[in-house]
Amino acid sequence: MDVACLYIRDFLVALARRDAPSLEGRPVVIGGSPDEHAAVIACSPEAAATGVTVGMTLRRALALCHDAVFLPHQESQSTAEANRVVTLLNRYSPLVEAIAPGHVHFEARGLAQMSGMSEVAFFGDLYQAMRAETGLPISLGVAETVFAAHAVAISDARFAAPGPSSPIPSARWSTARTRTKENAEAEEPGPVLVPTGQDKAYLARLPIEVLPVSPLMHQRLRQFGLERLGQVAKLSFSAMQAQFGLDGARAWNLANGKDNSLIVPGRDELRIDEEMELPAPTALSEPIVVATRVLLQRGLQHPDIRGQSLRRLDWRLGLESGEQISRKFVFREPTNDVPRMLFVARSRIERLQLASAAVSVGVTLSGICSEYGHQANLWPVGPRRQKELVEAVEQLNERAGGPQVFRIVEVQPWSRIPERQLGLAAFGP
Amino acid sequence: MVQDPGAAAGSGRFRPLNQPAPLAVEATPRGEPVALLWRGTYKRVLAIHESWRIDDEWWREEISRRYHLVELEGGRRITIFQDLVTDAWYAQPYEAPKGSGHRHST
Repeated sequence: MDVACLYIRDFLVALARRDAPSLEGRPVVIGGSPDEHAAVIACSPEAAATGVTVGMTLRRALALCHDAVFLPHQESQSTAEANRVVTLLNRYSPLVEAIAPGHVHFEARGLAQMSGMSEVAFFGDLYQAMRAETGLPISLGVAETVFAAHAVAISDARFAAPGPSSPIPSARWSTARTRTKENAEAEEPGPVLVPTGQDKAYLARLPIEVLPVSPLMHQRLRQFGLERLGQVAKLSFSAMQAQFGLDGARAWNLANGKDNSLIVPGRDELRIDEEMELPAPTALSEPIVVATRVLLQRGLQHPDIRGQSLRRLDWRLGLESGEQISRKFVFREPTNDVPRMLFVARSRIERLQLASAAVSVGVTLSGICSEYGHQANLWPVGPRRQKELVEAVEQLNERAGGPQVFRIVEVQPWSRIPERQLGLAAFGP
Repeated sequence: MVQDPGAAAGSGRFRPLNQPAPLAVEATPRGEPVALLWRGTYKRVLAIHESWRIDDEWWREEISRRYHLVELEGGRRITIFQDLVTDAWYAQPYEAPKGSGHRHST
């Protein structure tokens, strides 16, 4: 088994229920209060059963589901929790790919052997550890291909979750389910392990909704009477391709256990940290600005970002009292120009009211990218610029002995004769 | 009161735009172009998408032109006209006059 998929169904709802267990079993809608002009970001299966869908207005959601609990979307908390899941999996696997919040694929090849355990025991332990650490209802699928692991994990989540939205009839699904021996007997949740070489057999009983194609194609497949991946796999490749094009070909391959997708681990963002102790504690802004300039120059000379620009600067000031003041600057255009960065930062530094003397300054450069072309406006508003332009044109005319710069003017815009409509008039007085 | 710009009017300070460019055209007796010499290359006219006629200034130097929006082999579309006074052919991008509505095909 090479690949694993960890999936937390309705991640935002799961988080809310973990923090407030009284919400268990009640319809939950996330997005804000119904009197706000906002949309549903997530909803529980109980709310979905009444017709609530992601993207509809909260008012409409209230109309459909009177007894729903409406909760605000705590984006920073959910992002932190999603990152935590990835960080926890990084302890186990060298390749972890975050697909969406609460949905992670990771390389599973050789992990059990490395820890000297059987695969059943290893993934059982991993499953229990992740559940305990996150406190969330996770599903774990392990298979030979990315799609198979993904499909069994999301199907397992839907099977386990209550509510009529589950597309998988329990009885049929349970026959295809292979759990670890221990939890199979006790009917406890656990990882779903697909033995090597049996991806196709496992996939055969899964509903077509696990295929990563458009909902319209799911609908059309059902209209053709195709409900399970096994039925899709039995069709001829050319028939699927003829009917659905590239998506059909892909669906056929996936249904037959043919998937060449790889885990693409997320790359850590490059950040450059520079720190400096001030020679003496100070409450004046000028030494702090000077120190900031030195740190920026030093940071921009870092070999990893030399010649590149940055979008974001995090600035920190350590105080004698032990407190720290931080400010975030986001540049409208990427820059590697220290005076320009200081121009943005200086006014905010000078406005600081320090409770005690500053002892250290630190900067973090992030949002590293290449600088795009920056071109000044040729015709900026302002009489001074206009005068400079007129003088430059006059100089050019003098040198050439006649008008060299023209502007298009309307002569007889009403004329039916094209050459009478417009003309070129010499630029300048 | 318009201020005197202090610059000499006339020579060099104004240039006409969109002047007709003479063109060698092979046409039917009815005056429909069938081929032309475009930038040194003989090109057949694949289609005439639109034709319209302009008659103007008959009270002084008469202007009478029949314009054709033609498609040449290779896909290029150009606007050409035949001067009905001199029978000469020209190429000239055509812009409908402002406020006059759409041109009328004939």
